[in-house]
Amino acid sequence: MAKLTIDDLHLSYGSNHILKGISATFAQGEIVALLGRSGSGKTTLLRSIAGLEEPSKGTITIGNSPVFDGAAGLNVPSEKRGLGLVFQSYALWPHKTVFENVAYGLRLRNVPGAEITQRVAAVLEGVGLGHLGDRYPHQMSGGQQQRVALARALVYNPPVILLDEPLSNLDAKLREEARIWIRSLIKKMNLTAVFVTHDQVEAMAIADRVVLLDGGRIVQAGTPQQLYTEPVSLFASEFMGTNNQIKSRVLDKRGGHTQIELSGFALWGKDRGGKAVGEDATGVIRLEQVAVVAGEGENCIQATLETSLYLGSQWEHVFRCGDLSLRTFGGPLAPGAHWLHLPPEQLWVF
Amino acid sequence: MNRATRIAVIVAMAIAVLAPIGLVVYQSFLDGPFFQPKTAFTLSAYEFVLDDEDFFDALWNSAVIAFGMTAIAVPVGAILAFLMVRTDLPGRRWIEPVILVPMFVSSVVLAFGFVVSLGPAGIVSLWVKSWLGTIPWYLYSKWMLIVIAGLTHVPHVFLYTSSGLRSLGSDVEEAARMTGAGPLRVALTVSLPMVMPNILYAAVLVFFLGFELFGLPLVLGDPEGILVLATYLYKLTNKLGTPSYQLMAVVVVSIICIALPLVALQRHLLRTANRYVSVKGKASAQKPVTIGFWRWPAVALIVCWLAFTVVIPISGLILRAFVSSWGEGVQLSQVLTLDHFRELTHFPNLVRGIVNTLLIASVGGALSVGVYTVLNLAAHRWQSGWTRLMDYLVLLPRAMPGLVAGLAIFWVFLFTPFLSPMRQTMIAIWVAYTLVWLAYGMRLVSGALLQIGPELEEAGRVVGASAGRVSRDLTLPLIKVGLISSWLLIFITFMREYSTGVYLLSPGTEVIGSLLVSLWGSGAVDLVTALSTVNIAMIGCGLLLMSLFGKRSHG
Repeated sequence: MAKLTIDDLHLSYGSNHILKGISATFAQGEIVALLGRSGSGKTTLLRSIAGLEEPSKGTITIGNSPVFDGAAGLNVPSEKRGLGLVFQSYALWPHKTVFENVAYGLRLRNVPGAEITQRVAAVLEGVGLGHLGDRYPHQMSGGQQQRVALARALVYNPPVILLDEPLSNLDAKLREEARIWIRSLIKKMNLTAVFVTHDQVEAMAIADRVVLLDGGRIVQAGTPQQLYTEPVSLFASEFMGTNNQIKSRVLDKRGGHTQIELSGFALWGKDRGGKAVGEDATGVIRLEQVAVVAGEGENCIQATLETSLYLGSQWEHVFRCGDLSLRTFGGPLAPGAHWLHLPPEQLWVF
Repeated sequence: MNRATRIAVIVAMAIAVLAPIGLVVYQSFLDGPFFQPKTAFTLSAYEFVLDDEDFFDALWNSAVIAFGMTAIAVPVGAILAFLMVRTDLPGRRWIEPVILVPMFVSSVVLAFGFVVSLGPAGIVSLWVKSWLGTIPWYLYSKWMLIVIAGLTHVPHVFLYTSSGLRSLGSDVEEAARMTGAGPLRVALTVSLPMVMPNILYAAVLVFFLGFELFGLPLVLGDPEGILVLATYLYKLTNKLGTPSYQLMAVVVVSIICIALPLVALQRHLLRTANRYVSVKGKASAQKPVTIGFWRWPAVALIVCWLAFTVVIPISGLILRAFVSSWGEGVQLSQVLTLDHFRELTHFPNLVRGIVNTLLIASVGGALSVGVYTVLNLAAHRWQSGWTRLMDYLVLLPRAMPGLVAGLAIFWVFLFTPFLSPMRQTMIAIWVAYTLVWLAYGMRLVSGALLQIGPELEEAGRVVGASAGRVSRDLTLPLIKVGLISSWLLIFITFMREYSTGVYLLSPGTEVIGSLLVSLWGSGAVDLVTALSTVNIAMIGCGLLLMSLFGKRSHG
């Protein structure tokens, strides 16, 4: 069942169009990442769902009840939507204790005092802060503040929980831990969650489904695997991973494959952009898909090892082939010329 | 607040601001007082004033004084700010609060202080005369008035320049030192030019205050008949014997016409100044510039300025309040007395004045802060034509000096049937005070509101609170400290206010400031100095309270 439905949503500030027709559905129990660069409209979309921005056109429906309908002039105010939102800055109220921060939403719903105590204690326990209810936000670390912000958004059982870059204020080590516990907490509570991020690794790690936005439009939506292995455009492929790019021209086409040229070597790749023979095209291959092989073969090129960077768990090698440099990972290599294999299924031609 | 409430609040404010101005403009085109039954529209009042030589004299004097005091206050204030904020000057910590004292003492009180200290029979004058045989200055000359006005307005320049300098990273100065510039050169070629928008803003402010000047010229200009616009207006009442409302209205209109463009310019400059400062906001680690030998002349400069503008007038005034008479050959130990203070208690209107001043400053000040808060909340996080209208409306009362606003409010209370019973109550005074300090108070409260991030309020909305509950449960508690310190500043401001109550002075509406003005006219020096001393003591208590509160809320 669709928990949250967005249909043809438009939003602009003056002549500046931020959202240009967004349609998406979010199923019960699903974690969805809104992924995009800054200015792609991802945060604006989240704030529109929360009722903090007013779109100009389109509809937003939570469960079966519409909360925004541009044509009907319906715009339910934030406080009536009953959603939970975790702010990027956490936005904890500095004049209230942790307990009062979390309890506020229940007080507004006229929950009896005893039940408030019990529910707040339970949710604080759930985020691992059971003993810190009497503290003030400024007495807590960034990671703890983030847990309080999450508890505050969860305590009144919202149908959908929204998270705006929830991990961006944490340092790198803490962020990796938070990825794991946020996902497991949301899954354990079987919540529907929408979160905004600009970090594709974070999006893939936490989300069941990723919605990639650019310039106020959805570029691609699907599982993390789909987005990583079957990007629909050059932009999507560049955004989701680190690539080698080969600027070239289409030599030949056959059965869903396209042949391009790299410094005299002909390479077959998957036809993704539908370019005709003779047109300019770009070949894209993930760094980890380029393999160093013993000798000449199908879809292989010869390149000179220019430099190697030691990364700890592996090496990153930079090769030069004509005027193009290619990067790949692997074990230590001797200097000089090497053969590189670019598998046709992994080389995408846009 | 919902939309309808917001609009209602803004409309109410518009009426409160526009009614007095509208009435004054209307009156200026009549041939008699507006409340008389048979009046006609005419330009005769304008003709009379524009034919009056005294008016142009006053206009010219105002311009000369405004230019002169700007030329003095700006360089002194800017250098002072640099020394205080950016150098390792000894004793900065205790000098800084003293610098602001002239801002907190009402300028009539300061003027009285200059008269009793430096006047022809003043305490310091006679002391100097006993050494030199002559007094090398004449207090009542126009030059002296300009110097005094300039030096007493140094704090305004200091305040704005120092806040700019504080937000400046010290790396720019260190770079200049590395390149080989001495401290003075650093100040003149790097630090001060970088805060030029702030200095410019302060310059316009001081120039504008020069046109508004009332207390200093009233006291110091009177003996030689030096009139400025505000004192011309004040004398106009007595000049023709009967109150000539239409003539006063014309002078008021001309004062507003001069002030309004200056206020608009100021506002424009403030915006550019803010933009500048935020660009170079890397002020994380400020290291003071070491000025070495230069600190001795610097300290000497500051001590001289403080002695002249704070120590001499105020100590002279207080001393005068405790002696029975003063003149050549008087022995201090034989004339010390508390009689003047005892005498104060014999005048019921003076006692009422002291009580009223305390009331208007404490209770009235709190109510005014309440009004400023409601007005601010009406415009809070709302982008619309209404809030822009409000921005401009706030400027209008700023263009009315206290004397003028007091007169306009007096007329409004006279003119409006349901208000006229309250004309001779403290309500009229409170309305006038609140209106005169509208722009200032609004800025104090909005400063507190700007401190809270929008997401703190949005979080409240998302969690389920209506706009009204967000204001009550989140916004107001969050700015509580800011509101209390705003109240303390308004308390001191209302305590020292003297010109606004002048036209509203009647039995029941006495405040210390307006009583001082009228007592000075009657020549009761003993009472004036005693009452001024009481006023200074009250302001001192306010300042003490403020510093205690500041310590508590920071620690």
